[in-house]
Amino acid sequence: MPEWLIPFVASFIVLNVVIGIVTYVTLLERKFAARMQSRVGPYRVGPHGLLQPIADAVKLMMKEDVVPTAADRPVYNLAPVVFLLPCMLIFATIPFAPGLGVADLNIGVLFFLAVSSMEIVGLFMAGWGSNNKYALLSAMRAVNQVISYDLPFIFSALVPVLLAGSLRLSEIAGAQQGLWFVFYPVIGQLAFVAFIVSTVAAENRAPFDILEAESELVAGFRVEYSGMKFALIQLGEYAHILGASFLGALLFLGAWAGPGPDWMGPIWFLVKAMLVFLLVTWVRWSFVRIRVDQILALSWKALLPATLLLLVLTSIVVVWRTNGGA
Amino acid sequence: MIGEPIVFWVLTVVLVGSALAVVLSKNLFHAVLWLALALTGTAGVFLLLEAEFLAAVQLLLYAGGVVTIVVFAIVVTERLVGERITQTNRRITGAALVAFTVLALIVSTVVRQPLASARPAVEGDLTRAIGEGVLTRYVLPFELLALLMVAALLGAIYFARPDE
Repeated sequence: MPEWLIPFVASFIVLNVVIGIVTYVTLLERKFAARMQSRVGPYRVGPHGLLQPIADAVKLMMKEDVVPTAADRPVYNLAPVVFLLPCMLIFATIPFAPGLGVADLNIGVLFFLAVSSMEIVGLFMAGWGSNNKYALLSAMRAVNQVISYDLPFIFSALVPVLLAGSLRLSEIAGAQQGLWFVFYPVIGQLAFVAFIVSTVAAENRAPFDILEAESELVAGFRVEYSGMKFALIQLGEYAHILGASFLGALLFLGAWAGPGPDWMGPIWFLVKAMLVFLLVTWVRWSFVRIRVDQILALSWKALLPATLLLLVLTSIVVVWRTNGGA
Repeated sequence: MIGEPIVFWVLTVVLVGSALAVVLSKNLFHAVLWLALALTGTAGVFLLLEAEFLAAVQLLLYAGGVVTIVVFAIVVTERLVGERITQTNRRITGAALVAFTVLALIVSTVVRQPLASARPAVEGDLTRAIGEGVLTRYVLPFELLALLMVAALLGAIYFARPDE
């Protein structure tokens, strides 16, 4: 295989694997939610409902594509793609095993955070382009929330960066082969909790799902979308959650570290990412939605100062340790 | 590398095209979306020059942050006030004159300096170099900028507080 072809093949494989996992993550979530509520969940399509995601995908592809008359057509049509693009790009820097990834940038964490913050542009295009007041209100709430929770998300993700002394994702994972950062005394646990809270908020899931609050806004910014465009938005949203789960597993749970031979690494990584995903889902199905002002107050008055203090504390510990401390 | 000129020219077309669209589109919201594309294109140029750190910061602060805030401002003013704001400018000749003067100044300055035909190789970790530079040699301008930002924040809070 010629060398210039390798990046293309690698991205092709990662893209397809991600879409495959995302499809089945929806089934995992539905089953998990069903168990929490003493239900069975999808059961009819295939054994234990295993073919349900495929049936859903086929159904969505065959649905009629409705465009509202008053919609801002180019913006409305482009929005799902613009939304999906950053959600898929975040997987580019994640190393799934030592040396196994599309691009191991030396600013991996920063790239991840930067690209994942671009998601809001597509979201807002969808909200505005639909020309629907519920969609627009939802998009405005989303902007509010994203501005508020981007900083705690970044600060909590920077704690492992400080501990590892590198922005390169593979080096952060490598630094945890002895001790996972989630077990780092005090700092690790606090940062992990902050990371989970801001992930739940950044992914707009309950209790922070004010932008799709069914009882007030119907379905939020995607209310006017149908068929394949709706599918693209759903795909992007779950891909984003999956990406954040992988990032959480990489930053705090030691990525591919685990017992067994080397080829088990990616499997361990996937298992840990799924654990983070289930943690987020668990939070989602356990708490009720909180009000807009409470969400903003939680971010600006509690989470932001707390993560900032944590970051300072981490820097002190790191400097103390490198200067001949314990 | 053969691919580099191709990528550069594609980026140039995207950048110049979207920048023109920002100025020429009448719909204010479309203009902001074009601006987002232009800023992303700039990040692409940084990436092409192997300034990955700058590219990521460009995406994080400009394409992600600034565009979000501009969009927010438009929505708050336009939809809530109930009046459609269109972006038109009748003084287009004057603006073109100013723009061309600035362009001429920049070009004349750039032409006077001999341009290096090859990029100088960057040694070591660029991010580390930036961090060390900002906190040692350029610490005074850095702190002054921080002071400026605090002042701006305080000003924003002063204007935004509710009337007593």
